[in-house]
Amino acid sequence: MSEPTTTGPTSPAPIDCEHAVRRLWDYVDGRLPSMARDEVEAHLETCAACLRRFDFAHEMRDALAASAPPLPEGDADAALRERVRKALTGERG
Amino acid sequence: MHACSPSETGRTASNAAHAESFERMTMPHLAHVARFARSLTRDAARAEDLVQETYLQALRGWHTFRTGADARPWLFKVCHNAFLRSMQQESRYVDAPEDDPELESLATAHAHWHAEQAGLTELVERMDLGESISRALGELPAYFRGAVVLVDVEGQSYDEAAAVLGIPVGTVRSRLFRARRLLQDLLFEHARDAGFIAARPASRERTTAPSGEAE
Repeated sequence: MSEPTTTGPTSPAPIDCEHAVRRLWDYVDGRLPSMARDEVEAHLETCAACLRRFDFAHEMRDALAASAPPLPEGDADAALRERVRKALTGERG
Repeated sequence: MHACSPSETGRTASNAAHAESFERMTMPHLAHVARFARSLTRDAARAEDLVQETYLQALRGWHTFRTGADARPWLFKVCHNAFLRSMQQESRYVDAPEDDPELESLATAHAHWHAEQAGLTELVERMDLGESISRALGELPAYFRGAVVLVDVEGQSYDEAAAVLGIPVGTVRSRLFRARRLLQDLLFEHARDAGFIAARPASRERTTAPSGEAE
């Protein structure tokens, strides 16, 4: 029979800064298994320096998502379609 | 007047059917291909050239398209390959080393820590992050740009990006993590170039570095 632990059976194991930041991008992408994710989150609750790093990573990824150009529409879309169709017609001879 | 032989008539009909099938399957995706091209090139005129080249290449390779498959990822793949070729021709292409993704995460955090010590993180946060990110994307080597555009800008999964890039999922992950680290470095460089750096007192108290910090 195992010894009782002071942290309880569901408490994540403590990890240091290096172990937390090695998981930075997998965490931001939501690709960590639940135990590893819980360990990172427990570390972030007690480490302001890592929390700033993770927050910055989230902000950067959000800014990337927001940088998507709009889909072409209206005249720009029609002109591009016309250009492509002409090129295809020329290609087919 | 030239009369078509039966074989010529058959070939013409076959070509017309080929063209009709190609346009019916691919043209509905043109706007998305155009947006992807714009994200890759970061330039309107270059993006339009890339879209045209994509469709020409796609027509030439239409016989390789698997009937019943989704044409959009296939067109994205053709588009990305054409983009890489154009970058090679312009000598702006950098081959991609494949590194350890966890080390990339660690390096990202270390770089952030150094930037924080130099006062750059506060300054980046005061900059227009969207504009800086867009500029940084344009400076990213071509190989890395594809991964970050597909996953972070287009919102595709690693599996979808792997199919477009023609590489294993693990390679998408390592390339993506490297791309993000390079983007972060570029953001800090932009802050430095913009002359935003405030002089930091030499005796400023240091905060905790990730363990293994080499200083």
